[in-house]
Amino acid sequence: MGEIVDIGRRIELVPIDLHCQDITIGLYCQEVDEGLGFLVHTYSHLPVAQERISFVIHAMCVLGGMVLAPNGLIHFPCWHEHQMACKRVFLEACKLASNTIVEAKPLNILDKKTGLNIKVFSDKNGVYQVSAEGVGKDKEKRVAFIAGGLIKLGQMVEVKNTLDKIAYPCGDTHDEMLGLLLIRAPNVRAVFREQDMAASRGVLAAPSQQK
Amino acid sequence: METQNIKEMTSRERVLAALAREPVDRTPACNPTSVATVELMDLVDAPFPDANRDPELMARLAATSYTELGFDSIMPVFSIIQESSALGCNIQWEQKDNWPTVRMNEPIWKDIEDIKIPKNYLTHQDTKCVLDAIKILKKEYGDEVAIIGKTMGPWSLGYHCFGVEPFLLMSLDDPEKTKLALDRMKEASVQFGIAQIEAGADALTLPDHATGDLVSGDYYKRFLRDLHIELAERIPIPLIMHICGRTVDRMDYIAQTGFAAFHYDSKNHPDESMEVMNERISLVGNINNPETLFARGPDRVREEVYKNLDVGVQLVGPECAIPLQTSIENLKEIPYALCDWHKEHTATN
Repeated sequence: MGEIVDIGRRIELVPIDLHCQDITIGLYCQEVDEGLGFLVHTYSHLPVAQERISFVIHAMCVLGGMVLAPNGLIHFPCWHEHQMACKRVFLEACKLASNTIVEAKPLNILDKKTGLNIKVFSDKNGVYQVSAEGVGKDKEKRVAFIAGGLIKLGQMVEVKNTLDKIAYPCGDTHDEMLGLLLIRAPNVRAVFREQDMAASRGVLAAPSQQK
Repeated sequence: METQNIKEMTSRERVLAALAREPVDRTPACNPTSVATVELMDLVDAPFPDANRDPELMARLAATSYTELGFDSIMPVFSIIQESSALGCNIQWEQKDNWPTVRMNEPIWKDIEDIKIPKNYLTHQDTKCVLDAIKILKKEYGDEVAIIGKTMGPWSLGYHCFGVEPFLLMSLDDPEKTKLALDRMKEASVQFGIAQIEAGADALTLPDHATGDLVSGDYYKRFLRDLHIELAERIPIPLIMHICGRTVDRMDYIAQTGFAAFHYDSKNHPDESMEVMNERISLVGNINNPETLFARGPDRVREEVYKNLDVGVQLVGPECAIPLQTSIENLKEIPYALCDWHKEHTATN
C-alpha cells in the first residue's frame, strides 16, 4: 500500500505525452540547501517511461541551460527558481520526440509580423538588450513589445528608464533560456491561451454546463 | 460531532457511522465522486477512457483513493455517463485527460413514450463494468473501507437522454408530462442502485443535477422532493445526494427526503449549510475543486478542511469529481488535515 512519496510541489504537468504512449509527466520543485531544484517525474511503470524522462531532462538542460545534479534534480546554475521560465522549458522539452537532436535556440528570431530580425545581446552582467534589424515601421515599439513579452514569460524585470533592456532578477545570464523564450515573446497571448486551454481539460462540468 | 472515547474505527465503520450521524473516532475523508487523476492512472496503469469500461482497471484506479491518498472510501464510478450509455446515448469517450460525455446534441428520446429501459440495461458493458468493479473492490477491501457506488437520478438522465434544453423546456411547457417522464426514468436509477447494493456497495451517491444555475429551490420541491423520498425508500442503503452549485435554497427540502447525506458544493458556506440541515442529514464536502484543489497548494486545502470541521460537517472531501490534473499532494492533504485537526482538538480538550 502507498507507493507515493513526497517528491515536492508540482508546478507543471503534461497529462498526455504524445511521444511516449500517453504517459503523464510532472515537473516538481524541491527546496535543497543550495536553492531550488526541479524533478521531472512520471508515475508510469511502462518500460519506456524512464528513458523518456531522461530525454526530457536532457532537453531541459540544453534548451534552458539547466544542470543535472547527482541526486537527479535539475537546476539553473544560479539555483534560483525562475518558475515560469522553467515551466516553459519543461513544456517545450516535452513537445520534442525522444529522437530529436536538441540544440539551444539562438538569441535572434525573425519576427513574422514585421519582418524584422530581432536580436538580443547580453552584456554578461545579467542585462539583456533587445534590438531590431531590417526595414519595418515602429521598430522601437516592436522592440518594447517583445521585451515586455520576455518579462512576462521569464518573470524578468525591466531595467529602469529603458524600454529595450531587461534582466533576470537573479542578476545572472541565462542565454539558452532566453533564446527559448524569445521564440514565444512576440505572441505571449497565444502562450497564455494555450495554457488556459490545457488547464481546462479534465474538469468535469455538470450536464447543464456541458456543450 | 461526538468523537470522545470512541475506539479506533476502520475506514468503513467511520464512513457508515458518519452517514448515520453516529459518533466517530474522527471525521472521515470521503469521496462520493471521483478522485481519479492522470498521475494515479499512470501509477496503476489504468488510464481513461478504458478505466471507465473495464472493471479490473476501474477497480484498480478507484482503490488508489484509499491505498495512495488515504481516504476512507473508494468510489469506482468516475463518470456520470455509465447508465446513459446503457440506455442508448451516444458517448464521446475522450482520452486519458478528459471526461467521457454524453452527446446531448444527439438526444435519444423526444417524448415520454420513447422512455424505455433496455432489457440489457444491467448487462450492458458500461453498467456491468460498475457492478463487476464493485464486486472486485468488495472482495479486496470490503471489511476495511467503505465502497460507494453511484446511480444517476432521473433529472440528470433527463438531460442526457432528452438534451438539456428540450428537457428544461418540457418542464416549463408541460410539468405533468415532465413528472411522468421523471417517474419512468427513476426506474433506471432504482434498478442500477439495487444492482450495486447486490454487488457489495456500502452506500450510493445519487447525483441529480437540479443545479443552482438552472433550477430553483421551488423547482426542486415541485419536481424532485417527493420523487427523491421514494428513491430513499426503495433503495435500501445510505444514499448521498449530489447537486452542484449554490443549493442552500433547496437544502431544507433535501433534508426531508430520507437521504443519509448531501454532497455539497463550495458555493455554499459550511456554517449556513449546517444550520439549514440541522442534524437531519449529514453533509459531505465541500473542498473547492477549480480554485483550491486544482490551482492552489496544500495550505489552502487545509484551510478549507478546517472550515468544515470547525462547524461539524460530518464527512469531508472534494465538492465534486476532481479535475483530472489535480495534484496528488493536494488530495493527500485532505486526510492529513483531518487527522491534524482532530489531534489539535483532542489536545486542547
